[in-house]
Amino acid sequence: MAAFFEVENLTKRFGGLVAVDNVSFSIERDEIVGLIGPNGSGKTTLVRCIIGILSPTSGRVRFKGQDITHWRPWKVVQAGLAGTFQVVKPFRRLPVIANVMVGCLCPRITRRGEWVKSTPVKARDALEFVGIMDRALEPAANLSHGDLKRLEVARAISTEPELLILDEPFGGLNPAETDLVAKSMKRLHKGGRFGRLHSEGPAMLIIEHKLSDLMKIVDKVLVLNYGQLIAYGPPEEVVKDPAVIEAYTGKEVPIA
Amino acid sequence: MFRGLFGNFRWGVLPVPGRVIAVVFFVIIFVLPLITDDRSTLHMITLASIFAIFAVSWDVLSGYTGQVNFGHALFFGVGAYSSGLLYRFLGWDPAVTVPLGALIAALAGVVTCLPALRLRGPYLSLLTLAFPLLLAEIVRAIPPEIAGGYVGITGLPRLAATPMGRYYLCVVIMLVAVLVMWKLTDAGSKYVRTGLIFHAVREDEIAARATGINTIRYKILAFAIGGFFGGIAGALYAHLLTVAGPGTLGIMMSFQAIIWVIFGGIVSIYGAVVGVFTLYPLVELLRGTPVHDYRFLIMALMVIIILLFMPEGIAVRIRDKIERQCPRCKLSNASWRRQCRACSADLRYVADS
Ligand SMILES: Nc1ncnc2c1ncn2[C@@H]1O[C@H](COP(=O)(O)OP(=O)(O)OP(=O)(O)O)[C@@H](O)[C@H]1O
Ligand SMILES: [Mg+2]
Repeated sequence: MAAFFEVENLTKRFGGLVAVDNVSFSIERDEIVGLIGPNGSGKTTLVRCIIGILSPTSGRVRFKGQDITHWRPWKVVQAGLAGTFQVVKPFRRLPVIANVMVGCLCPRITRRGEWVKSTPVKARDALEFVGIMDRALEPAANLSHGDLKRLEVARAISTEPELLILDEPFGGLNPAETDLVAKSMKRLHKGGRFGRLHSEGPAMLIIEHKLSDLMKIVDKVLVLNYGQLIAYGPPEEVVKDPAVIEAYTGKEVPIA
Repeated sequence: MFRGLFGNFRWGVLPVPGRVIAVVFFVIIFVLPLITDDRSTLHMITLASIFAIFAVSWDVLSGYTGQVNFGHALFFGVGAYSSGLLYRFLGWDPAVTVPLGALIAALAGVVTCLPALRLRGPYLSLLTLAFPLLLAEIVRAIPPEIAGGYVGITGLPRLAATPMGRYYLCVVIMLVAVLVMWKLTDAGSKYVRTGLIFHAVREDEIAARATGINTIRYKILAFAIGGFFGGIAGALYAHLLTVAGPGTLGIMMSFQAIIWVIFGGIVSIYGAVVGVFTLYPLVELLRGTPVHDYRFLIMALMVIIILLFMPEGIAVRIRDKIERQCPRCKLSNASWRRQCRACSADLRYVADS
């Protein structure tokens, strides 16, 4: 039985730099997985290769039994895999709600019988879900960085993904807001309806710098360092892993 | 390079006082032939209607979708020449050649779009600039018996027998074409999703892709729409003047569309119409006056003044003056109202934007 989502020997080179080096892992349908690593360890690059914004140099990505390597980003989204950007990419001059309405126009949803008419209501529910409904009618350019991060999340969940990849969703949020978003991610993961917003109960891959924010919500953690996967397992074990401690404290790794 | 051009536009439908002005404008245009039968005035408005279709089609492609096209004359010329050739070799009526010419221009839009898909911003613009010039050279190079050479394909049948018939035909086609394009680009529409998607493609193509939008398909669609309506304008123009000449492919034609739209207000549809109906008659009315030789200079000065003092365009600026957005429900209200017409929020202390 093939895994729900699987990355196999994925490598991405930028000229001489190997940003992602032969990474393999898999995610089950009901998991929330964290991906951590120091600055420049290739987390964002890995995600961009998965969602089709970058084309990996080699390796495979499989999702729900399909090989989605080198697929166009919109096909990936339409297959049920949505991601957010670390460097936020809102539609700046459109109202916040219109940003989310674009996600609601995804063929994945319209094919299911929801029609353009219902998008504003649904977009509003998505904004409500991440907690920025009060800014709905302002141009996205007016939002603070933390709110833009939440807008990214709202836009991604409006496409009703089955696997949601969040690139540093807590960046720019204060601890209280972090807690709030983390809780709503937990709720989203359980699935169900939030007003008109439908949740498939997506599996999640959450990228963060530090593990502390993730500890409570993730089932497993992947650790990247210099593009290589150095640890994979439950968070309690990973924090004790010497290789991980080395990577974060920056000491020379002794030659094994 | 083009970021500054778009400014902060308001999206949505043409509301309250603006709507009244639009209705008054069309009523005036419709009764004008009953008031005057001055042929040159009628001819001028007929041409302005054709150019309005052309300018609005540029706004859809370049303003809304952000594919800034410096060679929009390609579609005008392809529309003109295809209807000319269809008449010359098949003897068909304008009723057939105009729609067919528009379809061929839409096809031209799709074809030019394919190499243009990989380019963005100034590079795209420069590439598109080359296409009509290239086609004009080709037209001049092939034997005049086929494409008319430097003169063009002459002796095309008129659109209608009388000036008034031509006038009404063009005005009605303009009205319908503008309404269709307005609906297609209306981001607030309940039934059409293209408007919102065009906006998204312009704002951030990568983000649009990652939100599940097939941006390639929608860019092709925008080029096809731009080409189709640009082609209608070109075909009408050819039949109106009874000649399809290389001037329809000229650089002047491309840039006039841009000037009209920016003068009136980009990303607004109505701005393009206002731009054409202000600048085109202005230049025409100065013909034969003492400042005849300076009429394009005067137009250029006006455009520069507008760009300096109201970069959002004259029509958009006026609309901002006479309308005010309700701070609560964002519905547009006449600026002299005290309460919002929908949610009755107090409007008296809302600052002018
Ligand atoms: N488009 C690119 N071209 C060349 N090099 C790149 C490109 N994108 C990323 N890199 C390099 O790849 C490496 C990995 O970068 P990446 O952004 O994936 O790291 P990250 O783990 O997301 O870091 P952070 O925690 O700062 O977000 C870095 O050394 C970066 O400089
Ligand atoms: Mg990153």
